[in-house]
Amino acid sequence: MAGGALLQLQNVSRRLGGRVIVQDMTLALDRGCVLGLLGVNGAGKTTTLRMIAGVLAPNTGKVLFDGRELHEEPALSRRLGYLPETPPLYAELRVDEYLAFCARVRGLRGKAALTAVDGVVERCGLAEVRRRLCGNLSKGFAQRTGIAQAIIHDPDLIVLDEPASGLDPVQAVSIRKLVKELGSEHAVILSTHQLNDVTACCARVAIVHGGRLRYDGKLADLTGAQGGDLESVFLRIASADDAQAAA
Amino acid sequence: MNRAIARNEWRRLFAQPLAWAMLAAVLAVLAYFFLLTLQGFLGLMPKLAGMPSAPGVTDLVALPLLRAVASVLLIIVPLLGMRAIAGERASGTLPLLQTSGAGSAGIILGKFVALCGFFIVLIALALAMPASLAIGTHLDWGRLFASLLGLILFAAALSAIAIAASAYCRQAVIAAGLALALNLVLWMLDAGARYEGVSSNFINYAALPTHLEPFLHGIVASVDIVYFALIIAVALILAARRLDAEREHG
Repeated sequence: MAGGALLQLQNVSRRLGGRVIVQDMTLALDRGCVLGLLGVNGAGKTTTLRMIAGVLAPNTGKVLFDGRELHEEPALSRRLGYLPETPPLYAELRVDEYLAFCARVRGLRGKAALTAVDGVVERCGLAEVRRRLCGNLSKGFAQRTGIAQAIIHDPDLIVLDEPASGLDPVQAVSIRKLVKELGSEHAVILSTHQLNDVTACCARVAIVHGGRLRYDGKLADLTGAQGGDLESVFLRIASADDAQAAA
Repeated sequence: MNRAIARNEWRRLFAQPLAWAMLAAVLAVLAYFFLLTLQGFLGLMPKLAGMPSAPGVTDLVALPLLRAVASVLLIIVPLLGMRAIAGERASGTLPLLQTSGAGSAGIILGKFVALCGFFIVLIALALAMPASLAIGTHLDWGRLFASLLGLILFAAALSAIAIAASAYCRQAVIAAGLALALNLVLWMLDAGARYEGVSSNFINYAALPTHLEPFLHGIVASVDIVYFALIIAVALILAARRLDAEREHG
């Protein structure tokens, strides 16, 4: 485990509704890295991301951001950007109004907030809808607006929960391109069950299954060592765990 | 308090038709009530002229209107406050606020300030009706300003209750029902005691009208201010604690 990593999960576990959702997860991430968090539905990806974002506290273990415990210092949340599964949009606000709010609530003021809005509008391709109500956005634009709010304050860590889910292939490609760009400057965690997302954007992959971290390493190492493409390796890991659980 | 959250809440309130419709409907009803009481006062004027120390326009027109404002607030504050937190939860925007770094107290205070702001506008517009009579008659300004302060504290207490109810309920409609029930309990709490002639018991102290009435009579007492401040503080602390608990319990 890297001692000075930007984000560290130390033996993190979380129960919800009496069920263990995440169990003893240990993970570290630094700037300039896109980590693909891969898992089937119900594997515990979203709960893990919610703990990383500070929306949920772990039952045991620690989530450390820059060495400090996120749960103890909510203000640290300003240094991360989070896109939940459903983009957190206010239907009654225009896209530019909404983004200006997102900038201000994260501490940007006056001209800096407006510059940040212009920046993300351009970067996320929102120019044609910037004066449209968030409630009237298509799925693709809503998703992009969600990503825009997550990066508007130039955070150190960006946490994206299935940003390309429900998008058409063209939109999905543009989102992947954007995520890859973001990875050059920030630490990015991309949760997905789409293998294409991981191969297109991520150098590193963490496979979660049954609430446990089953693999954490370079994508090239995984496919090289196990001899095959990501799909077959992922299916092998997931089905092996299922067989183990059944036994 | 997080200013960005307060500003955004204020902007969102006025971006929805509910707030405008409510403002228009309430002011229309209050204006009709004002005109009726004014007409009644004008009819009584010849009799009042012959009475020593007769009640004036402030007693007979402004006071009934201000009491009507208080009654209306009991109902409309829960309706406008119900979505404060429950609505964020339903639309999936709560994580945006939770990861903003504002903290639970900042989120709750921002919501509270915006909601109070709306009701201050409503109270000021309602008060402008009797104030307009100053063109042709003498008004007891001290009493009107005391009433304004009392109604603002009253609306703030009801807003805090509505936000707390919204924090504890998953659905906005249930939050509105809970807040309305709490308002009515606090409003009627000492009705039985007063009927029995008891006026200085704890139950009287706990009831809302006991602390609003002195303001309407021009009396600004610290005991009444403390009562409203206590309600506001307790409700907002409970709401913030509920948000914190959401992090813990999911």
